[in-house]
Amino acid sequence: MTRRRLAITLLGLVVVVLGSLAGNIVAGNVPSLGLDLRGGVSVTQEPVGEFDSESLDLAVERIRERVDSLGVAEPEIIRQGDAIVVNLPGVDNQDDAIELVKVTGEVLLRPVLLAQVVDGLDPTTNGVSTTVAQTPTTTVAQTPSTTDAQTPTTTVAQTPSPTDSSTTLPGGPARPITASSVADSTPTTTTASGLSTTTASGLSTTTASGLSTTTAVTETGGPPGTEAPSAEAPEPTGIPDPSDRAATVLAQNADGTEYYQLGPAFATGEVFKGDARADIIGGGWGVRITLRDGATGADLWNLGASRCFVKDTSCPTGRMAIVLDGVVQSAPSVNQPSFTGGVDITGSFAESEAKQLARVLRSGALPVRLQVQAVQAVSPTLGGDSLRAAVISGLIGVGLVLLFMLLYYRSLAVVLIIGLVVSGALQWSVISLLSRTNGLALSLAGVTGIIVSVGVTVDSYVVFFEKLKDELKVGRTLRNSAERGFTSAWRTILAADTVSLLAAATLWWLSVGSVRGFAFFLGLSTLCDLIIAWFFTRPTMLLLARSNFAVGRRILGIGKSVLTPGGSA
Amino acid sequence: MSDDNSSTRRGPLGRLYHGETAIDFYGRRHYGFIVSGALVVITAISLFFSGLELGIDFEGGVAWQVPASPTLDSEVARSVVAQNGVEMANAKVQTLKSGELESIRIQVGDQSSEVRSAVQAALAVAAGVDINEVSVSSVSSSWGRTITEKGVRALVVFLILVSLYIAWRFEWRMALAAIMAMLHDVLISSGIYSLFGLEVTPATVVAFLTILGFSLYDTIVVFDKVKDNMERFSASRTGIADIVNVSMNQVLMRSLNTSLAAVLPVISLLAVGSGVFGAVALREFAVALLVGLLIGSYSSIFVASPLLTVFKERESHFRNLRGLHASGAELEHMVVTGNATGSKKVRRQTEVDTGSSQASPVAPGSPLTHPPRPRKKRRR
Repeated sequence: MTRRRLAITLLGLVVVVLGSLAGNIVAGNVPSLGLDLRGGVSVTQEPVGEFDSESLDLAVERIRERVDSLGVAEPEIIRQGDAIVVNLPGVDNQDDAIELVKVTGEVLLRPVLLAQVVDGLDPTTNGVSTTVAQTPTTTVAQTPSTTDAQTPTTTVAQTPSPTDSSTTLPGGPARPITASSVADSTPTTTTASGLSTTTASGLSTTTASGLSTTTAVTETGGPPGTEAPSAEAPEPTGIPDPSDRAATVLAQNADGTEYYQLGPAFATGEVFKGDARADIIGGGWGVRITLRDGATGADLWNLGASRCFVKDTSCPTGRMAIVLDGVVQSAPSVNQPSFTGGVDITGSFAESEAKQLARVLRSGALPVRLQVQAVQAVSPTLGGDSLRAAVISGLIGVGLVLLFMLLYYRSLAVVLIIGLVVSGALQWSVISLLSRTNGLALSLAGVTGIIVSVGVTVDSYVVFFEKLKDELKVGRTLRNSAERGFTSAWRTILAADTVSLLAAATLWWLSVGSVRGFAFFLGLSTLCDLIIAWFFTRPTMLLLARSNFAVGRRILGIGKSVLTPGGSA
Repeated sequence: MSDDNSSTRRGPLGRLYHGETAIDFYGRRHYGFIVSGALVVITAISLFFSGLELGIDFEGGVAWQVPASPTLDSEVARSVVAQNGVEMANAKVQTLKSGELESIRIQVGDQSSEVRSAVQAALAVAAGVDINEVSVSSVSSSWGRTITEKGVRALVVFLILVSLYIAWRFEWRMALAAIMAMLHDVLISSGIYSLFGLEVTPATVVAFLTILGFSLYDTIVVFDKVKDNMERFSASRTGIADIVNVSMNQVLMRSLNTSLAAVLPVISLLAVGSGVFGAVALREFAVALLVGLLIGSYSSIFVASPLLTVFKERESHFRNLRGLHASGAELEHMVVTGNATGSKKVRRQTEVDTGSSQASPVAPGSPLTHPPRPRKKRRR
């Protein structure tokens, strides 16, 4: 290892670290703080029962949309395995938070009683005329026969047994959904706060009061089905909770351009098989989907479709709304009274809209049932106090360590201190960058990890310095000792750090919650330790050992008495 | 011997500073085993009778935290919660001091969100504060179970991976000793938590994991030295007890330095962070870290290395040297020079002392280096 290469290595590291530090400062990246340090609410949800991962992705997306629509600063939405953790810093009302993040992939099919294009009128008033304000641009039609001859329909492999577990009910057709598994015991859709921000104020007031009653049911987390009967019972109150499928509710479409008054749902997305796909149908983009057979599929659907087709009182507009989490995805008018096998939804869809609708219908066919598993609220003052205390006491602690090192290793400790500063700058840069790009947040567990990492970094130096002293003691020259000492110290550091990295990786993959955050910072600081040891300590020490500066100085805290016997070897 | 003079004149601290200690860890191994054994027994008894006090994150439940006020003390808080139809038999009501702020924390089993909100509102009214000042945490019991299960699974996988790594990098006996020492740390740490009724929270778990990592790290540094010395001494007839003793003394200062470097910030966290500033969340961390660090430092010196000696002694290479080990000046010589052959005289002396009392296959005072080959003895 020539002197020049060492110098280049050292210079390279310093440039990289200073560069990334400056870059982050210029870009204004700072580490964002976790909930436990700044206050806020954290809600953890987990799917129960059967679900597919696309539905879960959709649910995460829905949560993100809703959180973003509220304008919460730096929300953190993390998938940990199947669990979805939503951290909402700065939110202090946890009921709001719970309502905000409770979504299902549950798609409801509701007859449109009334539709109103937004033009500033209050949509809640019943005084709006019963005529449809806008001619629906979308339609549903039988796949093979009517609309489109070009499609070689995949329809109906007449398997008799419906795959859905919630079949039973011979139930009276009047009661739309009897499937017990879709009971209210799962956290359902509602959005008090979500709605209130986006809709007219008239809407929010009507929904808000209903919330407390519904949440009580929805999130106790009993086994699905136990509370189904209560959902069947007609609610005495007329409060339109969007998730209550027996109620008449108000909703709007995704871009907020049309309001609807929707009748009781007659079916869920589970009448469809999960094969919805966007396709060119009759010259434009549309969605093609297949009905399930039997009482939970085609029969339910046809019951609703026939009513809408004849525009009887339960479906005066002839339109059927496809509703996901209280948002109308599409409200096509029904073109025929009865369907067998496939259904085509056509209209003036853009390709992306059709694809989105197909996605919604696919996930609606097997909705993910999220259950609120944990809610954590930290008051901002408590969080701020913790942070201040952690930082101050951490700094004092590190100061003590450095003082001790200075006393013990004398001027050698300067190398250690500079190394710690470089390491700190490196970690700060990485954390800042990840805060910006990946929404990483520094939690109390993370701060602990970093404080511990100071110990690990110091230890690497101690291992090296002690080996150096050993080598000097047996009479080697400083230059020789530094090289040999580093080689053997590096082996030790590598072995020990590998164990730390193993720990970090295992915990990161396999655990949840704060342990995971800790694992991340442990891994990060261990990597930094290795980088500093190889790219900073090694060149610095080797260069120092060769320079005239160090020769003849008692820089190592080693007594002359030991050096003298074989000092010139 | 002459080159030892300078160091023998130093005081104990000086020798420590210069890495010239000659502590006979092997000879005193029984103290470590007895202390650890006793602690493990106490832990077992305590875990059996009182168990661990798990926080709501592991068992599920609801916790309210409300600032204390003249109108609200823990008794009032208790009755407020009870009035809302919450079963208070297993409820925990604590008063937490955080700086000048005093707050009351009530912890009960799983509740519906309705009850949660109702209690939150009632507490806010009783304390005369805004409802947002009352923080509520809730964890469903199934989620608590998930967390616990995942944590345990992660730990088991970690143990297996680490054992394999150490077995590959060093040898399986070292893996066994290191893992046993680590389990010893976990066990005793949890014993302390059980004995003093401290609550186990996710913070505690994180802290303990830190400790496990640290304890292993520490142990591995020692074992690395042992491995080093085993190679160095392999030509000479040196028992594992000597090798471990020498290694321990050589890395003693490193171990102490490292432990001190790790403990200082933690003590600062505890004293300044939670003491002066009164940050409750920090105290949980700091207490667990401190407990674990102290036990970890202890175990890598008094448990891991002696255990390794015990395991290694059964190996054929070292079996015949059992019971032989240097101490005092001779040990010091080995530590300082890293050389086994430097002081034959002292060595012979100690072998006479110890070898005669213990049934050694080698005759006392014999200069043999390879005891399994008796023919050489005759020739010499």
